[in-house]
Amino acid sequence: MTPTRREFMKTMGAAIAASQIPDAKARAVQPSAGATALSPRRKVIYDQDLSGPFGTDLLATLMMLQADNIDLRGITLVTGDAWMKQEMAYALRLLEMMQRTEIPVYPGAEMPMLNTKEEWQLRQQLYGGHRLDPWMGAFNRVNGGPDAVEPLAAPYDRFAKLQPQQEHAVRFMVRTVRENPHEVAIYAGGPLTNVALAIALAPDIVALTPEIVVMGTGFHAFTNTFNMFFDPEAARKVLRAPWPKLTILPVDLAEEIHEDDELSPMHRMIGEIAGRAQAPIADLFRIHAVQALQRKPGTRLFRMADEMLAAQLIDPGVFTRSEQMYVDICTSPGPRYGDAMFWRKDWQSLPAEAAPAGASEADRRVFVDPSQFYLGPPPSAGLVNVLLEADHARFKKLFVDVMTAPRQPSPG
Amino acid sequence: MHISTDLLAHSSAFSPSSNAAPAATEKKKLIYDQDHRGPLSTDTAATLMLLQAGNIDLLGICTVTCDMWAKQETAYALRLLELMGRPEVPVFMGAEEPLLNTKAEAQMRYQMFGSRTLGNEGYLGCFAKNGGSRDEVEPLPAPYSRFAEIRAQAESAADFIIRTIRANPHEVTMYCGGPMTNLALAVMLAPDIVPITREVIFMGGGLHHSTSSVNVYFDAEAAKIAFRAGFPKFTLVTTDLAEQVHMADDSKVDAIVDHAHAPIADLFRLYEQAPQRANPRRQSFRMPDEMMAAHVIDPSIFGGADDMFVDVVTHNDGHYGDTSFWDAGWQQRNTGTPLAGQNNPARKAGRVQVLRDIDKRRFRDLFVDLMTRPVPGGAR
Repeated sequence: MTPTRREFMKTMGAAIAASQIPDAKARAVQPSAGATALSPRRKVIYDQDLSGPFGTDLLATLMMLQADNIDLRGITLVTGDAWMKQEMAYALRLLEMMQRTEIPVYPGAEMPMLNTKEEWQLRQQLYGGHRLDPWMGAFNRVNGGPDAVEPLAAPYDRFAKLQPQQEHAVRFMVRTVRENPHEVAIYAGGPLTNVALAIALAPDIVALTPEIVVMGTGFHAFTNTFNMFFDPEAARKVLRAPWPKLTILPVDLAEEIHEDDELSPMHRMIGEIAGRAQAPIADLFRIHAVQALQRKPGTRLFRMADEMLAAQLIDPGVFTRSEQMYVDICTSPGPRYGDAMFWRKDWQSLPAEAAPAGASEADRRVFVDPSQFYLGPPPSAGLVNVLLEADHARFKKLFVDVMTAPRQPSPG
Repeated sequence: MHISTDLLAHSSAFSPSSNAAPAATEKKKLIYDQDHRGPLSTDTAATLMLLQAGNIDLLGICTVTCDMWAKQETAYALRLLELMGRPEVPVFMGAEEPLLNTKAEAQMRYQMFGSRTLGNEGYLGCFAKNGGSRDEVEPLPAPYSRFAEIRAQAESAADFIIRTIRANPHEVTMYCGGPMTNLALAVMLAPDIVPITREVIFMGGGLHHSTSSVNVYFDAEAAKIAFRAGFPKFTLVTTDLAEQVHMADDSKVDAIVDHAHAPIADLFRLYEQAPQRANPRRQSFRMPDEMMAAHVIDPSIFGGADDMFVDVVTHNDGHYGDTSFWDAGWQQRNTGTPLAGQNNPARKAGRVQVLRDIDKRRFRDLFVDLMTRPVPGGAR
């Protein structure tokens, strides 16, 4: 019997039925034969605002499911692009369709720490809207509330029989990192609410996490990005923590991929995947990319932010330049609530620039010698690894290879 | 000095005593969350009141960094329970840092915007320049004398709060005598506890004496989360009310030193009577946390409460942590005038009951009575 919407909703409430999902540890650790030689197999907690039926969140999820060097210990969900319960409905059914029901899915934060839809709308009225990134995700005007779970679009066709875990996403994160010290990387593709709560509750996990990868912030495209401004307090908390390695994918780099001549408008890549991939990946691309483009030719597809972030764990060689920088997030609830600010790590030893022709001796001293200025970060800012350049061809090949690879076998 | 933080580790050898207090049926179930400053302070005095009161079922003590760092507070709380002969009360160490505020920023805000002026409480707790650091645990002075043998629980304070409220729906009162970091984390992790919490009582904020106090501006984000959460009943002791009674008033201290038992008599002799005699012009502290305890033990001491909205400023500037209040009946204010309906609260402000009009005589009597009651298991 396929669960009805009402039945599915029932299981999403406080009394989530006991899990029937086998222990994730039972999963085979042998990479499948014929796989591309990538970085060594890594344990990953995958934290995502998994908005369905298609899109950057979902495609990144498919990459993590398909990559044979990723040992996915669990998917943790957070409200962001969609409400957490709706994301849960898509995540569970996606795992069923991918025949990967051994992967546990954990319900996480349904609301940001402080931000609210009503105050966001009031801020827009008071300070003006976000000209370049008006997306409000779960807080979009057309969206229902946290409990409104809509039926799933094709090819999902119905709600899953698979149940979410009873354990909260935050507790799962804390427990898993502690049980596998220095082994589990955290992928954070949405607002950082779950991660912030985990490190507030258990600060010891920061030092035990070998790498956390985060999507968000920006320099030039824009400085205020969704995952940060949806929950700025959580973002500040996470970016400031002394992780052994926090890698950030700024929007500037993500913007390059859908604008890149070789890929734009990505039709060729989409067609390739729709033609070569197995179900349900082929169906997803056929329905939500190929047919969408046929209906509206010339559509500009979304940048591949979360997919690139997945590449940092699957094949970090995609990225050709990164830099250690200080970062902080503005949490004053004004017009710049959620803005990212960066400072150079080497701000104390920047070389003096050549003086412009005709500069006076005073100008030469004041304007071109960095030692004349305070160029450093504010107290408590975080030091992070910022991805700055990517090998587009390598990323594209990785993406197509992973999408068209045979489905990863489920244990048992 | 640095010592091993081992004293805070869980000891499975410890278990609650079997001869726990009987007839808990009409006792009020209480989670006591406190920035537990030792050796004696408004925090400690409130702890003593709740340990001595016969109508309180103290489910657990949670600590939180503010007046001191949480490890030091936990050391004081554990040893105090031993001295009071109450080792069965479990202690849970809570948040060691506020959600976002940092010592460096607190210091820098004071440089940039000036400290809060006197009425607005310049006090920064352990974020003061000489406030030590989070892993330093100093030895405990007399009458504590040494570190406790009992240990803190392994469970975090936030987890304990969630588990306990869920296990006792509509029965647990949550006492927050410090910043609400632990409660905010519990609410974020388990929003379902909000409607099944009987009451939250908190000390912080103000309307006239000051517009804030350390429990709010030490962790403004946590206060905002907790105020806004929508608890069925949220009772507030403001600085305005707390200022009405100070420890040195009404010769309380001498009466306690003369009639109390160990270790209470020693604490008041060493840390209230002696400094007051050495410096008669010393301004003793107000009694905010004792008032909260009094509200839990005997709410009739207070002359009712004002129904109000409250919200907290979280801008990272000189107003970080300020509280704003509005009348719950703002829609009825100024009716028939052009000002009608203009005193609205912030869109997401929380609803609080602001205690007013304390009966000072009864408060003094209750306090002295509790402090001078026998301490059955008390050790010198």
